[in-house]
Amino acid sequence: MKEFSKEELARHDGRNGHPAYVACKGKVYDVTRSFLWKDGDHQVLHRAGADLTDSLKQAPHDGDALEKFPIVGTLRHVRTEPS
Amino acid sequence: MARVAREMVEKSGINVDQLVGLLVKNAAAELTTFYYYTILRCNLIGLKGEGIKEIAEAARIEDRNHFEALVPRIYELGGKLPEDMKAFHDASACPPAGLPKDPTDVQALLKVLVEAERCAVRGYTHICNLTAGKDHRTYDLSQAILNEEIEHESWFSEFLGEGPSGHFMRRGETSPFVSKFLR
Repeated sequence: MKEFSKEELARHDGRNGHPAYVACKGKVYDVTRSFLWKDGDHQVLHRAGADLTDSLKQAPHDGDALEKFPIVGTLRHVRTEPS
Repeated sequence: MARVAREMVEKSGINVDQLVGLLVKNAAAELTTFYYYTILRCNLIGLKGEGIKEIAEAARIEDRNHFEALVPRIYELGGKLPEDMKAFHDASACPPAGLPKDPTDVQALLKVLVEAERCAVRGYTHICNLTAGKDHRTYDLSQAILNEEIEHESWFSEFLGEGPSGHFMRRGETSPFVSKFLR
């Protein structure tokens, strides 16, 4: 399964014919065909091409809402070194 | 536009353009649901379907009322409805409540109805959360609509055998919560 960097994920923003991918808890989902992700926009507040793990905490639905979409990869974990 | 009313909402820290966008999307969901429920209602026939028809009709009329109640708030806040009806449909906050593949399958029809209501419940809960203590008028309106959407969900959920909700059908009047915005 493909591993996406944040930059690669950002290119899948649903605009200009690009597919719309979103990440949640390390998984990358393809939401391109969803009515609710037209042109990579979701409910005005969210954009495709991003990690939505934190945003989902405030959403009126849980992460299960993404489970119906195909998983196309994982999001590369960026480890930050302690300074 | 109600200039000062918009300024007050802006001062509260709300991104008014985003809020208006959400209100437009939910207004689209209400009007398109009114349309799709018309088709669903027409197909609620036979021994099983007829018993649900009246409730589907009440939900249909109330969803239209929600659209009517939302529109003035959109314009007060400086927003507007899209001129293109198709763009408006496609901007809906909820997916189309289309007729199931087998229109005689009343259970499948009920699932379409309950999912549409659940989408609305999520949407208005979200708007209430965004506006609580900040934009009093939008909050009051969204909360009134939310009250009715929760009752719609309860009606259809009971028919699906998900358990009792304690609600009754409307007795005569529609939109007991939203009607104050329609006068």
